[in-house]
Amino acid sequence: MNDRGIAIIGYYETRIVLRSGRHVYDLAGEAMAGAIAHAGIDKSEIDGLAVSSCFSDAGNPFYAPVLAAYLGLELDWCQVTDLGGASASGNVARAAAAIRAGLCDTVLVLAADAQSSENKGTIAAFRSEFQYPMGIMGPPGYFGLLSRRYDHQYGLDLKALGKLAVTQRNHALLNDNACEKLKRPLTVEEYIASPMISDPIRMLDCVMVCDGASAFVVTTTARARELGAKKMVHPIGYGERINHGETDQCPDITRVGHTAAGARALKAAGLTPKQIQSFHPYDDFLIAIVLQLEAIGFCDIGRGCRFVMEHDLTFAGDLPLNTGGGQISAGQAGLAGGAHNLAEAVRQLFGEAGARQVKRRDNAMVTGIGWIPYGRNWGTSTVMVLEAAR
Amino acid sequence: MSANPTLDPLAGQRPAPVPHNFSKPFWDAAREGRLLLQYDPASGKYQFYPRPISVFSGKRNLEWREASGKGTVYTYTVSHKAPPPFKIVQPFVIATVELVEGVRIMTDLINCPPDRVRIGMPVRLAWVKAGDMNFPVFEPDD
Repeated sequence: MNDRGIAIIGYYETRIVLRSGRHVYDLAGEAMAGAIAHAGIDKSEIDGLAVSSCFSDAGNPFYAPVLAAYLGLELDWCQVTDLGGASASGNVARAAAAIRAGLCDTVLVLAADAQSSENKGTIAAFRSEFQYPMGIMGPPGYFGLLSRRYDHQYGLDLKALGKLAVTQRNHALLNDNACEKLKRPLTVEEYIASPMISDPIRMLDCVMVCDGASAFVVTTTARARELGAKKMVHPIGYGERINHGETDQCPDITRVGHTAAGARALKAAGLTPKQIQSFHPYDDFLIAIVLQLEAIGFCDIGRGCRFVMEHDLTFAGDLPLNTGGGQISAGQAGLAGGAHNLAEAVRQLFGEAGARQVKRRDNAMVTGIGWIPYGRNWGTSTVMVLEAAR
Repeated sequence: MSANPTLDPLAGQRPAPVPHNFSKPFWDAAREGRLLLQYDPASGKYQFYPRPISVFSGKRNLEWREASGKGTVYTYTVSHKAPPPFKIVQPFVIATVELVEGVRIMTDLINCPPDRVRIGMPVRLAWVKAGDMNFPVFEPDD
């Protein structure tokens, strides 16, 4: 991937809306139309589709080809990726692999969900066997267990979490796509005083489930030049770890797969964490950002809160972080939520972030988190390094 | 150690577990108040939750062995928002319990007010009714 032979040549993100009432195919259609217009290509260029699974059309065993039919796409390759919030950047890597394997030439990477309007998803497995009878409140319950253990081992600094909340909220205020309901200023004190959901997880630690979609056009750099692409972004490193520490029955739940995924992505990119110019970590809960800073090596294990306090994470700071507001302040578009972090990273590298444009935009890192296993930390961890074409 | 419904304000209201064919021995034993764990004799390790295969070796030579029911709290959370019917007991304590056998079970900590729970606290097995089945929970082991 680090030969710069693959390029993202266009992208589009819809507004993120609470209970839009729109069908997921409609959101997908808007994202596709926007992405091909932004790339300046004809629809007929697209011969591959990599789409994130979604709650809204869950249970459809033919999701990708049915969606492709609604979008008028005749394809040589398609797939659904069900890595939750890790699917979007995961699909950029999968698109690159499919193109490199000669299966297709130009892939639409698409993530759409209308979870707040329609949710057909069920995850039975161990959940209906061992979780529902004990009444855990889904992800906030898990992150409550995780946060308590983190606090026990390292100390949890509420001011650092509050700083993350405020930093991201201020970014969302500059983002026209961010959910309207979240577009009001926030203070650290308000974060700390927000109602407990699953102690120590507070309401303002959590994402709000919304509707939305993003799309990205991925092709070879050579084809991008033939198509006359003026701007492009190369994925130059990617790492993925699914079911981190799965055989360990008593794992340290403060450790995550981003250690392995980050090392692989950074090695491929030939970069160190210090050289990353903006960071767009998957943020379903604020503490997830702290754990990823540690795991990827921006700081030592257990020092994530201190790192947050010591750095300016605003778009104008030394490590701009989730400059679109992140999912916590822009809204989580269901299982398409992780595409928000990716869209913002690509937008920054295209130099199209307007009032929140970062100064240094040679590279950016985006991460993904997907699914929550039984009694441990999150299951899927991804890290992608992107580089602006020179 | 049979289920004592008077201990659980949610008796009769908890959703019943939905077993798998390969976890039937676990739930059959639960009816008798016995906690069974899958044991892989090749690796000498236990695993939880029940699976169709040893997570250690990938083989299907698993045995069922009865657990001691003794453990400590690895971590916990105090739930202030829960799906029905758990609203009637909130706030309540959910814990990840590390059993002496070397596995963790995530479940409710009953007979334990939120201000009493601590990481490392000794706990012991108890049973509550979930639907018409016995469901394993834990309580402080004084």
